Amino acid sequence: MSGRRTAALPTSVALLFLLPAAALFAVFVLYPMATALTYSLFSWRGTAQDTFVGLDNFVTLLTTEPYRSQLPRAFAHNGLLFAGAMVVQNSVGLLLAYVLHRRERMRRLFQVLYTMPYLVSPLVVGYLWSLLLSPLFGPVNAALRAVGLESVAQPWLGDPDTALWVVVLVTAWQWVGFPLLVYGAALGSLDPTMEEAAMLDGASSRQRFWYVTLPMLVPVIGTVSVLTFIFSMEAFPIPYALGGSNGSPAGATDVMSLLFYRTAFGSGASNAIGVSSAVAILLFVVIVGVSVLFTRWFRRVERGLT
Amino acid sequence: MNRRTSLAAGATATLVALTLTACAPSTGSPEPGGAAGQGCDGDTVALDVWSWRTEDVKTYEKIFDVFEEANPCITVNFQAHLNTEYDQILRTGLTGSDGPDIAQVRSYGLLQPLVEGGNLEPLEDLVPALGEFDDAILDGARGREDGAVYGVPLASQTIQVYYNTAIFEENGLEEPETWDDFVALNDKLLGTDVTPLAVGARDGWFVPTVHDALTSAQYGGADFQQALRDGDTDFTDPAYVDSIQTLKDLQKYMPEDVTGVAYTDAQVLFTSEQAAMFAGGSYELAFFQEANPDLGLGVFQVPPPPGAALDHPVSPGYADGNWGLSAATEHPEEAETLLNWLATPEFGQLVADELKQFSPIPGVEFSDPIQQEMWDLYQENPAPYLLLVDYRYGDPVGTDLMGEAGQKLFLGDADAEQAAGIIQDGLSAWWTPGE
Repeated sequence: MSGRRTAALPTSVALLFLLPAAALFAVFVLYPMATALTYSLFSWRGTAQDTFVGLDNFVTLLTTEPYRSQLPRAFAHNGLLFAGAMVVQNSVGLLLAYVLHRRERMRRLFQVLYTMPYLVSPLVVGYLWSLLLSPLFGPVNAALRAVGLESVAQPWLGDPDTALWVVVLVTAWQWVGFPLLVYGAALGSLDPTMEEAAMLDGASSRQRFWYVTLPMLVPVIGTVSVLTFIFSMEAFPIPYALGGSNGSPAGATDVMSLLFYRTAFGSGASNAIGVSSAVAILLFVVIVGVSVLFTRWFRRVERGLT
Repeated sequence: MNRRTSLAAGATATLVALTLTACAPSTGSPEPGGAAGQGCDGDTVALDVWSWRTEDVKTYEKIFDVFEEANPCITVNFQAHLNTEYDQILRTGLTGSDGPDIAQVRSYGLLQPLVEGGNLEPLEDLVPALGEFDDAILDGARGREDGAVYGVPLASQTIQVYYNTAIFEENGLEEPETWDDFVALNDKLLGTDVTPLAVGARDGWFVPTVHDALTSAQYGGADFQQALRDGDTDFTDPAYVDSIQTLKDLQKYMPEDVTGVAYTDAQVLFTSEQAAMFAGGSYELAFFQEANPDLGLGVFQVPPPPGAALDHPVSPGYADGNWGLSAATEHPEEAETLLNWLATPEFGQLVADELKQFSPIPGVEFSDPIQQEMWDLYQENPAPYLLLVDYRYGDPVGTDLMGEAGQKLFLGDADAEQAAGIIQDGLSAWWTPGE
């Protein structure tokens, strides 16, 4: 292991080299995080910090209206966004990556095409789709009507039953390139002899995918899932562009970051900073907690496979 | 926005604020080329003035040139920040040391965080002209707790119904005098290929505007506001429920699937002459005229239906922004001079002529006939834009609740009584009638 030896510097020198990065990390990440935590532990009078109230802001969040009913609703919607992203975005991404992996020609071109939408600002993507889906001028309904599918034409964003799924699909449309690239890279790094061996043993292409390729992808699936979870919990620009800050229609697309935004900037409530910081901390705790559990679970699954 | 991005945004806001103030000419060094400084005997003082109107920077600089000419020892550094980030930047600016001397501040509920934080000075003693302003407009600048005025009102908005004069003429229609006229003309238009009433209910904030434009007189306008303030009633009042029912009854004159129609779609529907009427605020006028210069425009107030609380139509209105004085200003005297100028008819007329806004300063006249008509209608029969004026002092705010309740009403998920219940229940989290 000669590589390890060259990397080993005296501890004090190593620490010295780490100092600039650590300082930046402390100033721009740790300090703001600590500040947000302290904000949530105080009551506020407008912009002025008032008294230390311990966990009162969190109690307010869980026991008083409108938070008591809006918080679980928003969390549930974030959960559905995650479930939807797993089903639509990640499975389609995996499928596309697999198909592209098996054919050399034009692979680059398609990878670029599929990932292109995420070079566009999600706010712009959201507004574009809201124009496309407009019941008055939108080409989507016009196209459906033109081919005789009148009954399928919907006020997509005006109906609480469809609005959240539109958010899921628009998000998937924009981000499908992400799982595609990650899975593509993972497929490229797999040992091809495994599949060849399975082929020689007479496994069909479906069997080879399910019993050889997929199990080897589990670590990557874990990573993609955790990242998807984090993205889904933090979703803001697309829900905002499609449903406004209140999650129109009638709260059907309300998510946690919209709740935070409303609480912090949308009301004249005196203690807005305190309660909204509590929303932020709660969201942070849930994201970290669930991500850690997810990661552990996937590690266990991995160990079971090897 | 999650916690981390919000903090990042906060950090960025601070950085932007710091950079901007760093870029601004330092105190005492007037901008080259400006009228300022010439003819000043002593040192000139530079005042930082902040605004959220990035689109008006050029016009404001022109307006402040007038002030600088009359006050050679004061220069005005006008800085505009992006509307959506302004509140955050301003909070940071006013609590730090590099903030503005004078800043545009929001009205009613959204003004309160700055008042409670002690970031703004009360102005009644500093700006005597405030005594001549309309009381209802000053309400937009008052601190909730002490009732003191913390801003010089900058603009006000009125709410009414716009109509397309060509479409009205084509169908032999006139401005309605009675409720029956109003319903009859809607029915007649329903038989044509235009939409009678352009409404977009996908944007929740627009629903209470439409509701008040159509039914303020029905539930009682300012009288109902007073009854709520006195604790004599709440939002489940039959008159208010009836007004919501009226909104539901008028849905058949709006575009189909109205909860899927965006506010901007409704605007386009009206400016492209595919709809005959648009219930909206005075702030629409400039956009309508720009989007379609050939659009023949008229305005009217909706007549109250039979059994309404008021026997005359009204225009709901509200104060829209103020000039506040930073409690941390280093130039209180000069800032006071500027603030007093911001309360003069001279400045008000510039706002009306150059910015096409309703200045609430007494004595201002409007050159655009539609603008003047909207203002006259409001002056004759004013009403408060109720949910914005009195019900944005806590979470949830009244306008959001009406947005949600109205969407449920249009979707058929709630009837008028349930919709009123949503508003009352929501507000009861922080509001008790009579307090």
